[in-house]
Amino acid sequence: MAVPKLQQLSKSVVQGPSLATGAIPTRDWMDIPVVFKSGNYAYPAKKDKVEYLNKQSGLHFPNAREWSPEDEDWKLPEGWQEIILKGLKERLEKFRSLKIFMDCCVRCGACADKCHFFLGTGDPKNMPVLRAELLRSVYRNDFTLAGKILGKMAGAREMTVAVLKEWFMYSYQCTECRRCSVFCPYGIDTAEVTMMIRELLHLVGIGINWILEPASNSNRTGNHMGLQPHTFKDNVEFLVDDVENLTGVKPNISFNRKGAEILFITPSADVFAEPGLYTAMGYMILFEAIGLDYTWSTYASEGGNFGLFTNNETMKKLNAKMYAEAKRLGVKYIIGGECGHMWRVVHQYMDTMNGPADFLEIPKSPITGTVFDNAASTKMVHISEFTADLIKNSKIKLDKSRNSHVKATFHDSCNTSRAMGLLDEPRYILDHVVDWVEMPENTIREQTFCCGSGTGLNTDEIMELRMRAGLPRANAVKYVHEKHGVNMLSCVCAIDRATLTSLMNYWNPEVGVCGLSELVANAIVQEGETRGELDEGLRTML
Amino acid sequence: MDIAEGFRNHKEKIVNKWVEYALSTYISSGFFVKERDQFANPVGGNIREALNRLFPLLVGGADSREFIAPLEQIMSIRSVQEFSPSQAVAPLNAIKHITREVFASDKERKHLVQELYDFEFAVDLAMLAAFDIYMQFRERLYQVRIAEIRSGSHILTDSRCPSKLLPEDNKRL
Ligand code: SF4
Ligand code: SF4
Ligand code: SF4
Repeated sequence: MAVPKLQQLSKSVVQGPSLATGAIPTRDWMDIPVVFKSGNYAYPAKKDKVEYLNKQSGLHFPNAREWSPEDEDWKLPEGWQEIILKGLKERLEKFRSLKIFMDCCVRCGACADKCHFFLGTGDPKNMPVLRAELLRSVYRNDFTLAGKILGKMAGAREMTVAVLKEWFMYSYQCTECRRCSVFCPYGIDTAEVTMMIRELLHLVGIGINWILEPASNSNRTGNHMGLQPHTFKDNVEFLVDDVENLTGVKPNISFNRKGAEILFITPSADVFAEPGLYTAMGYMILFEAIGLDYTWSTYASEGGNFGLFTNNETMKKLNAKMYAEAKRLGVKYIIGGECGHMWRVVHQYMDTMNGPADFLEIPKSPITGTVFDNAASTKMVHISEFTADLIKNSKIKLDKSRNSHVKATFHDSCNTSRAMGLLDEPRYILDHVVDWVEMPENTIREQTFCCGSGTGLNTDEIMELRMRAGLPRANAVKYVHEKHGVNMLSCVCAIDRATLTSLMNYWNPEVGVCGLSELVANAIVQEGETRGELDEGLRTML
Repeated sequence: MDIAEGFRNHKEKIVNKWVEYALSTYISSGFFVKERDQFANPVGGNIREALNRLFPLLVGGADSREFIAPLEQIMSIRSVQEFSPSQAVAPLNAIKHITREVFASDKERKHLVQELYDFEFAVDLAMLAAFDIYMQFRERLYQVRIAEIRSGSHILTDSRCPSKLLPEDNKRL
């Protein structure tokens, strides 16, 4: 644009105090170094957490130390390049998918504009193709002939500290949501590339606290919060009292009960933090209404698996705990609550890690007799599948008008929608319990936009980053809020319940967030209830 | 020909240039300019829509309070991107230069450049309002952060025993 003053304006703006987002890049993306500053990175893992994890059998978390991404020196271990390259070699051999993902990208660009991090930042390194290229360039350099001979011309580069820093920056600006893979003609799953980059970084002691502390808590006490059995029990019982006060019916619950038919596992956030609490109350009300023979466990007190965000060994270990507990209690099968990544692990990875769970039975609803063949191997049924089946067979009495204070929309969590195909059951349930509308087509179902804070990025020090990454999701919510008066964003993921709450508080403060089971329980008509007018359902203050 | 007509004739050209300029502040601006689906391209879509709403207000001598809604639409986004405050608001100012340039390059309307004073004053007011709005959104961001910490999900790390947070009498049960 030949406007002299305008050019000057651009120049002074671009060269102003923050250079992080300039105008059109003049250098190749490979040559632009990353700059860490407060607000754009998550805090590194605390030394004692890393030490603890490293001591656990089967886990490897070396190089515990105090460090900061803002420091020049990241205190990497001696010979760190070799460690990374050896780690990459091992993984290329172990995971055939990784090798394919490294080789078969044709750079068609179909994925480029599909990532919410790219859409919120305009930073080319947040295009999935370039995110994968961060690893691929090193792969080319050391593992392909063309790269060895042609070097940079073939898009290859050496593993340097600058590259390592770039890996850290951009593997923690990916929520492993797999939206990009939906659009890739080759099915390249950049989420798995991110997972590999994070694994490699852990080999040299680079990880974030928001992931490693919950992972270590889970290993120690069975849940992210580090709640001990008695505390977990207290918290659940606290909710029982609330339910009784609200509905007049006291749910029967039990803990660690051997011989129960079903073990129920949900994210611990549901029994502890708002608005998940209402979802947990919802589960209890539903199970009470149908007289389910089930038990909670104070050991398998967490559905979430932050191992998924670190490395496959940790993921395996944390997943195994749920099944060990099912075995110990002698239940027939497991019902899983509203969690995102628990289902990703169960559906995509559990079978080759810990499965098949032969000691359990193929789930069969004791109320309707429906056999859940889709869970024949994992023996774990999603609460929404279970609930939809109850509704279909008219086994629960619902009064939609009890949700008349709600006009809902539904957020497909990337894990349940893209990683396990749970698309219609939640919608079927919504149809029966509440007045609701869909968000625009290219933002739902398989094409859903992630909340922007998944994979352990839901920590408050990167709130700005989370808000810009969540913009595509929030933008679609805003549309249905303005057009249809939507005041509630429902979902089936505990992390979502927390992260979308913040996202809405920023972008659409008039929209609340709830779990699907909360809406179900609001509408349930129970035998013997003495429910008054609950203007806000389970959220009503008495 | 009067200035109002000048604005009418050139509206589309001026606003398009303005949108393009605003989006050129992003590293990969091509997609933001090109993609017209507002859900596939929320940054481009919102900025385009807001500038289109704002322009007639600046031209038509609207009350500056009317600027707030479109400015919020833009500033809510730019407040959480990696811009300094001046970078965040600078694209608004660009409309002055774009308009002068467009008029100057049109022989019949060259003389109108002298009459831009009111318009440019409106732009100044919008700029000042944008700074306030920028700050409001930064403030909101910090509030969101505090609310999240208070909500209890921070217990995920630095875990104290959460039973501490239960009411005393409940603990004795
Ligand atoms: S997995 Fe999701 S966050 Fe990661 S690159 Fe793909 S679209 Fe982006
Ligand atoms: S869509 Fe697939 S093949 Fe095309 S650039 Fe992206 S990852 Fe590569
Ligand atoms: S929190 Fe929910 S939306 Fe976000 S990444 Fe996880 S499953 Fe996806």
